[in-house]
Amino acid sequence: MSHMPCGVYHERYAQDHALWRSRFVRVKMLLLAVFVYLLFPLWADTYYLGVANMVGYTVLGALGVQLLIGYCGQVTLGHAAFLAVGAYTSTLLVLQVPWPNFMLRAGLAYPVSIIAAAFAAGLWSLLFGLPSARVKGFYLILTTMAAQFITVDFVITQYVSQIGGRGQAFSLPPGTIKIGVWTIDNDRRVYFLMAFLVTCLTFALVNLLRSKVGRAWIAIRDNDIAAETMGINVVRYKLLAFFVAGFMGGIAGAFWISNLAAVSPEHFPWSWSLWLVGVILIGGVGSIHGVFFGSLFMVVVMELLTLAVMSLAGVYPELLMKLNFVKESAFGLAICGFLLFEPNGIAYRWWQMKNYFNLWPFSY
Amino acid sequence: MELFLMTLVTGLMLGGIYALVALGWVLIYKCSGVLNLAMGELTLLGAYVSLSFYSLGMPLIIALLLSLAIGLILGILTERIFLDRLIGEPVLTVIMMTVGLSFFFRGLVEFIWGTDTRVFDPPVFSIQPVKIGFLVIGQVYLWSFLAAVVLLIVFVSFFKYTRWGLAMQATADDEMAALSLGISARFVYAAAWSIAFMAAGVGGTLLGNINGLNISVGYLGLLVLPAVVLGGLNSIPGAIVGGFLIGTLQNLSGTYLDHYFPGGVREIAPFVFMTIFLLFKPHGLWGWERIERV
Repeated sequence: MSHMPCGVYHERYAQDHALWRSRFVRVKMLLLAVFVYLLFPLWADTYYLGVANMVGYTVLGALGVQLLIGYCGQVTLGHAAFLAVGAYTSTLLVLQVPWPNFMLRAGLAYPVSIIAAAFAAGLWSLLFGLPSARVKGFYLILTTMAAQFITVDFVITQYVSQIGGRGQAFSLPPGTIKIGVWTIDNDRRVYFLMAFLVTCLTFALVNLLRSKVGRAWIAIRDNDIAAETMGINVVRYKLLAFFVAGFMGGIAGAFWISNLAAVSPEHFPWSWSLWLVGVILIGGVGSIHGVFFGSLFMVVVMELLTLAVMSLAGVYPELLMKLNFVKESAFGLAICGFLLFEPNGIAYRWWQMKNYFNLWPFSY
Repeated sequence: MELFLMTLVTGLMLGGIYALVALGWVLIYKCSGVLNLAMGELTLLGAYVSLSFYSLGMPLIIALLLSLAIGLILGILTERIFLDRLIGEPVLTVIMMTVGLSFFFRGLVEFIWGTDTRVFDPPVFSIQPVKIGFLVIGQVYLWSFLAAVVLLIVFVSFFKYTRWGLAMQATADDEMAALSLGISARFVYAAAWSIAFMAAGVGGTLLGNINGLNISVGYLGLLVLPAVVLGGLNSIPGAIVGGFLIGTLQNLSGTYLDHYFPGGVREIAPFVFMTIFLLFKPHGLWGWERIERV
């Protein structure tokens, strides 16, 4: 909790419990909404929209990771598996199920498939959360890694990809992804879908964390044995955390197929799981702001790196071929650098700045 | 029956390599409490370094020794630059540091050596298999196994009988007591990382000799994780047994289960086995069970 700004006095508990506790915050959120839903899409061209979609996808994926790692203390290194489950469930539902005509006409197939994907991924995540009832720490990390390898490298690559005889990748013909009357076929529409989903999930998670459930998760993170003695059913809440994280991952995966021409297992490698964890570390563990800061930072830095390599390509043409390797190394170094020099992430800096200005000009 | 025995023996020999790499992993964990997820990349790095020396025309032994020397230096550098300051930080921080390192090293390896499969050329071991009784074993496996076992013995006796090894053991047991006896903990950490780098390098070189060297050797290096977990994280005999177990299991499942689950069952069997195993024995075979108090 940061300090309240100078001159804000609450008279009722309802004011104190409100999500946005001062007029300044409400105006800020309104401006943010105007920017996200109006100004940015008006101004941005395809390239910026693409970058924004990438940021949004990272946020959607990282929210679940943040919930598990930052709020429930269950380190997961296999979150891409649940994204993959979501993406594949949604794709299969859209492509393979003979939807009744009225649903196709109303464009309900994709929205329904997103919800189904969320539940499928949530249940799959629950399955791999089961070991968390017995094991902790590094042993748990390894079982989540196992989730990644079992799901993506085995089940999906070997079996799910065979469904419908479409080969390794499920291609999504343009115009398949429809919501209502809108066909999600260009970056701008993907952007609006992304913005909507990010808003919904962020609200859901923030409010969940303010409720009994969220407090139970935080208690488990801080000390699970103490939490148990206080009457929290640790296993149930851990499993719930896995379910919710998987649920959000499923939505993220199902969203991402709207941006892809074809879904294949290569979109969900282990490095993507690690990337999501890296994002929340850089943004700040245990902070919703951190998810956003981390995603923005990583995606933008990677884009800048790409631009830099592109501009150097005239001098060193072979550098362009090795762009991905440069990116990989840079990501690794970024994680190491943040852990060494800014272990609390960007969100902590933001918090410090905010506090400074809250008390300004009478800070200590 | 013959097939079973053959599979078993080859698996054991492969397991020798895993045991070697797993030993390096456990040393780091025991001495400094670092859970190292970069082991696969350490294997890669060592393997490529010795491959480069070998391609220059040196005999394999010299190439291996040189890569050991480089592993030593890299180990000390890695520990000093990246991990020294994280002592006492939460588990996640340290793990993610090694994840960052793994990305860094992997990018580096791909940047320098590319992603094509490279082989040791000319082949180090002749492809003529050796016959022992009715068992037919590839020479690569046999020699790799022997090399791994020799190194295992060297490392374990180093750990048990030399002054430095005893210092490492003391630190692993009780860091505070070791410090008060005048053991330099920083030296011990650096030594543990160097040994891990060296063990991984040798393991990687041997693995590269079996199937050629590309990025997927790094995945094989990752298989030490199930091995150490099966053995229990802080047990050196556990790591060795776990390594052999994982090698055998991998080969057996490749032979017998591939029929029922075509595809990559060989690669994921260790992880499946580990997950199920952990449900019943959450601390592995010989891991410490800590009694936790609030």
